[in-house]
Amino acid sequence: MIDLQGYGPRLLEGALVTVEVALLSLLLALILGLLTASAKLSRHWLFHRIATLYTTLIRGVPDLVLMMLLFFGGQIGVNMFTDWLYYEFDVDIFININEFIAGVVTIGFIFGAYMGETFRGAFLAVENGQIEAGRAYGMSNRLIFRRIQFPQMMRHALPGLGNNWMVLLKTTALVSVIGLSDMVRIAAEATKATHEPFLFMIPVAIIYLLIASVSEWTVARLQKHYNVGFGEADEWNN
Amino acid sequence: MADMPIPLEVRDITKRFGDTEVLKGLSLKAHKGDVITLIGASGSGKSTFLRCMNLLEQPNEGELIVHGENIAFKTTRHGREPVDWKQVERIRAKLSMVFQSFNLWAHMTLLENVIEAPIHVLGKSKREAIAHARDLLDRVGLLDHADYYPAQMSGGQQQRGAIARALAMDPEVMLFDEPTSALDPELVGDVLKVMRDLAEEGRTMIVVTHEMSFARDVSSQVIYLHQGMVEEVGPPKEVLDNPQSDRLKQFLAPKH
Repeated sequence: MIDLQGYGPRLLEGALVTVEVALLSLLLALILGLLTASAKLSRHWLFHRIATLYTTLIRGVPDLVLMMLLFFGGQIGVNMFTDWLYYEFDVDIFININEFIAGVVTIGFIFGAYMGETFRGAFLAVENGQIEAGRAYGMSNRLIFRRIQFPQMMRHALPGLGNNWMVLLKTTALVSVIGLSDMVRIAAEATKATHEPFLFMIPVAIIYLLIASVSEWTVARLQKHYNVGFGEADEWNN
Repeated sequence: MADMPIPLEVRDITKRFGDTEVLKGLSLKAHKGDVITLIGASGSGKSTFLRCMNLLEQPNEGELIVHGENIAFKTTRHGREPVDWKQVERIRAKLSMVFQSFNLWAHMTLLENVIEAPIHVLGKSKREAIAHARDLLDRVGLLDHADYYPAQMSGGQQQRGAIARALAMDPEVMLFDEPTSALDPELVGDVLKVMRDLAEEGRTMIVVTHEMSFARDVSSQVIYLHQGMVEEVGPPKEVLDNPQSDRLKQFLAPKH
């Protein structure tokens, strides 16, 4: 058996942190992505402008820079706010930006922009007649979204979403920079202490691969689910 | 009965796309059991007129009265639009539309298509909706296709399924937008037969069509549109068998 020199349990804890950061960021990114796509497809120029500014900013600035800006810059901002509260209202509180939350928010924010583009394209790919039929039968916009647009859009979006998720998963390695003990940081610490990079980095790589494989399986199942009614014609003709 | 509000009345509808005026003041009154066919060359505005009736297109001017309920409009920066979209949704649920390209929801089976709006718009129970849907599918000859997806069916089957979906709403008026134009010739007959049956049982229908024999046999009124205006209107015997204008004569002449 490989001897992880006592770092085994901590490495697993780190893996859990990685998974948590990744899943929570994914959730935030999906929500932001849907909002961004809706804003970009809306006819209100203000929503459109804000969404475009958001995606341009995120796509143009490196992830690492954004993360440091949010973490360190955010702390400065929060401190200024609490100082102001103290001087003006004599309220004495101290808020510490938690590196876990900062990590999730930053990654969620970055990938929200990419998800937004994926969703936007997918929404545009839904045939207009499908939506029109919903309108003609008295469905509200909300009902049309939930019952028709969303399920049909997902068919087009899933390949892109799956891709974004894989990149997102690997981007979580950046949270080690702001001090969060994910598995990369723990492996780096262990390497420093023991001078055995392969001993720790290879298990880390394997864990990433494992998560990625589970993800691919999940995406494939979702794809099957959202393909219902579309793949059918081929099956039939064979 | 004299006091029953008539199912659908439209008055002086105009519609512009940009600078082009495609409807120039069209009116129509559909009494219960009327079958009104709209005919005309492509570009005459007949489909747009039909789409104004359930507000898939917003008319620039004119009134729309469905079962005695007048739809309220307001003018905004984006143009004229209904005051209350809830009212529009309520009214659309009474006017079910059959589209040229069927537009059955592709991710649902035929049965799911038919029960979708009765459950989610009319608030029917699932059991009730399914029972009704199965009756309707039986009527259009598709009961054995209930679990098929649209992609597994021929165009004719899809269109008959779409008619079942429309009937499931118990509509005041059925709007047909060139229901047979996208079909292979050999599939047209089945769809027309279903529509003839509906006309016979007293359904109120407004039909945009190129099927002159259908218009002649079934309709109570034929409206011939030309460039967004009514050129001739009347019972089919007058309009189709004794056209007055040269344009209509030419339109009806057998094409070679």
